[in-house]
Amino acid sequence: MSRLATALLVPALLLGLWRLSAAEGWLPAQLLPAPVAVWDALTETAASGDLWTDTLISLQRVGEGFALGAVAGLGFGGAIGLSRTLRQLFDPVFLLLAQVPLLAWIPLVILAVGIDEAMKVTVIAWASFVPVVLGVAQGIRDVPEPLRELGRALTFDRWDLVSRIVFPAAVPAIFTGLREGLANAWQTLVAAELFASSEGLGYLIALGRQLFQLDLVLAMVLVLGIVGLAVNGALALVERRLLRWQAHAA
Amino acid sequence: MTQTLRNRPARLDEISLTPALEIDQVGKIFDVAGRQVEALRDISFSVRTGEFVAIVGASGCGKSTLLRLILGLDTDYQGEVRLDGRRVVKPDLDRGIVFQDHRLLPWLTAEDNVAAALRRSGLPAAERRRLVAEQLKLVGLESFARAWPAQLSGGMAQRVAIARALVNRPRFLLLDEPLGALDALTRLRLQDELARIVRHEGTTAVLVTHDVDEAVFLADRIIVLQPDPGRIARIVEVELDGQRDRSAPAFLRLRDEILDTLGVRQPLRDIATAA
Amino acid sequence: MSEVTLVPIRPARRITLPSTLRPVLLGLMVPLLLIGIWQAAAAAHLVAPYILPPPSDVLARFRSELEGGTFQADALASLSRAFAGFAIGAPAGLAFGLLLGLSRMAERLLGPIFLAYRQVALFAWVPLLSMWFGGGEAGKVAFIAMTAFAPSAVNAWRGAAAIPAPYRELSRALTLGRLDHLRLVALPGALPAILTGLRSALIYAWLATVGAELFLDIAPGLAGRLNEGRDKFEVDLMIVALTVLAILGLAFSQLAAALERRSIRWRNR
Repeated sequence: MSRLATALLVPALLLGLWRLSAAEGWLPAQLLPAPVAVWDALTETAASGDLWTDTLISLQRVGEGFALGAVAGLGFGGAIGLSRTLRQLFDPVFLLLAQVPLLAWIPLVILAVGIDEAMKVTVIAWASFVPVVLGVAQGIRDVPEPLRELGRALTFDRWDLVSRIVFPAAVPAIFTGLREGLANAWQTLVAAELFASSEGLGYLIALGRQLFQLDLVLAMVLVLGIVGLAVNGALALVERRLLRWQAHAA
Repeated sequence: MTQTLRNRPARLDEISLTPALEIDQVGKIFDVAGRQVEALRDISFSVRTGEFVAIVGASGCGKSTLLRLILGLDTDYQGEVRLDGRRVVKPDLDRGIVFQDHRLLPWLTAEDNVAAALRRSGLPAAERRRLVAEQLKLVGLESFARAWPAQLSGGMAQRVAIARALVNRPRFLLLDEPLGALDALTRLRLQDELARIVRHEGTTAVLVTHDVDEAVFLADRIIVLQPDPGRIARIVEVELDGQRDRSAPAFLRLRDEILDTLGVRQPLRDIATAA
Repeated sequence: MSEVTLVPIRPARRITLPSTLRPVLLGLMVPLLLIGIWQAAAAAHLVAPYILPPPSDVLARFRSELEGGTFQADALASLSRAFAGFAIGAPAGLAFGLLLGLSRMAERLLGPIFLAYRQVALFAWVPLLSMWFGGGEAGKVAFIAMTAFAPSAVNAWRGAAAIPAPYRELSRALTLGRLDHLRLVALPGALPAILTGLRSALIYAWLATVGAELFLDIAPGLAGRLNEGRDKFEVDLMIVALTVLAILGLAFSQLAAALERRSIRWRNR
């Protein structure tokens, strides 16, 4: 209880300062709108229904892009993790492509597939693909040799070795990759919507900026934080269920 | 040489009769997940200057807890730990400690690890360097001064830890199962060495161990603890002047006696008494 | 050995390469193949050159850009922006993270709000920062600094908080003062995590540089050229800019990794 109180102390202080600043007019409202204005912007977009439809659209984009990128990443990462030849063939190309800052792909992807839904899903899929591949490949490569030896001692065939030993042992690393992939997908979504979109949370932020409505911008920042927290929490829940054997998994 | 290595005669004239360290009705209760667990109950004994005292007992009898109280890492307990009549309130350089895990800082070389103990000594740099070199020589590791802990074997790392504990010339050397993590051969070798070093330095030593042989070999007096809660079962004077031979009959008799107190029956002796 | 009895049925089934050469050759195979197909496709007029110009055109473009000297200026502008942001954000994050990792009180007060802040997507701050600092150089550097701050802070925090309790106990047993504890125990113990944080701060700063150049006012820079390429439909320019961005990014992470290895020699021995 007192932990919660200490955790809320600084935010409460900042909020108080913010209110005071707005009341005293220390900063013009264009630079820092009052907390009330932000709250109003939030309730207005909620009442008009824009908030729900735009959040849903954003979530759908992340969902599609992440699903695509994660599935492809699991396949490709698994392939280069399990086969040395495939790794030596594709690792250099992949690593070089992975070095391109995510956003830099946006202009090129726009030329390739247009500015609509396909662009967003492609960019988000690539953004989730990269960390998933890295996590899966690393996880498989880091499976302790004694465990593989155990598999040989039990005369496992290749399928048993992968499904009973390699894959379960690599699950923690795979999840790290998935979580980073989801975080990347989320970041990229906002960037892509900011860059070119007519719907979605990123669009609302861009709109607020164009209309010089910082209250709308701040309200959407708040929503982004809450949705991000929820999505992250959901994945952590799944992870904890799958990793029950890790005694120290906090 | 072998003579001094194998035998550590307890010369009673070297041991002062006034107690330097007093453990007075010490008790300790831990709060484990809201449940009260009594770790130590009514522990009283004293250690005289120059004495080598061993505390033996099964794991979980609170012997390491007791050492932490003597070091001053934990001050929340009943009773009193006194040093020269004053209550121990915090760790000080007059007590050096060797932990079971050597606990060398992996990012410092062997000599820097030993030197870390001299941070609070107030000595000039040259003097510190000399002391560090001297201690490393004492534990036979002068040629490994620049090695990282990861490059040392378990026994070598533990010797560096001993050097670190001794570099301040502490009055008390506290040993918390210092050889417990080593293999059997290394352990025997380091027991010899520990006997030599403590004798050379003239330090008062308190050793916590679950190895009864080790206690009989090294100590002048053995405090035997029994668990749940940890309390003193008996205190044994080791009177093996000049014959700390690990296979001597007197040595084995004393060992078996202590094992018996700890509840470990000795089949050989049973047969002997039956016969 | 029993090798003699196990002679494979088709002994020359596979050409075996020297073990050091094999990964290099295999690694070059796919890119060379792709470039070959790309060039061949262009030569056979399978794709229109304005959609995918042949590698030779891209190379020619790269050469002309370099000769014109503007590209060097663009790269320099992007690099100095990234470093300026990094130089502000990363040390600030490091200090903040260490504070949280070493002081229980600071962690309880500031930890939760920092974690909450991390949940907001980075680019959501772009409009705010552009209002506060303008869309020019100040706004760009502010955004890059903000981006570099978080990974640096998180890792320093984790690293300092994860100093094992036995080491803290040792500090007490040796009666080390706060400064000695920091210098001998806490900082070296947290160093691997700190370096990981700085490395990822560098990579994030590079990403943020691209973001800043795309989203904020037009200014010289590699991502600016990327946008120019899109506006003018000059795909060769875009490929050149992308490649340079990738190579510089790769150089960053290699450099950081090398520094990391040097600073923690005590491990892996």
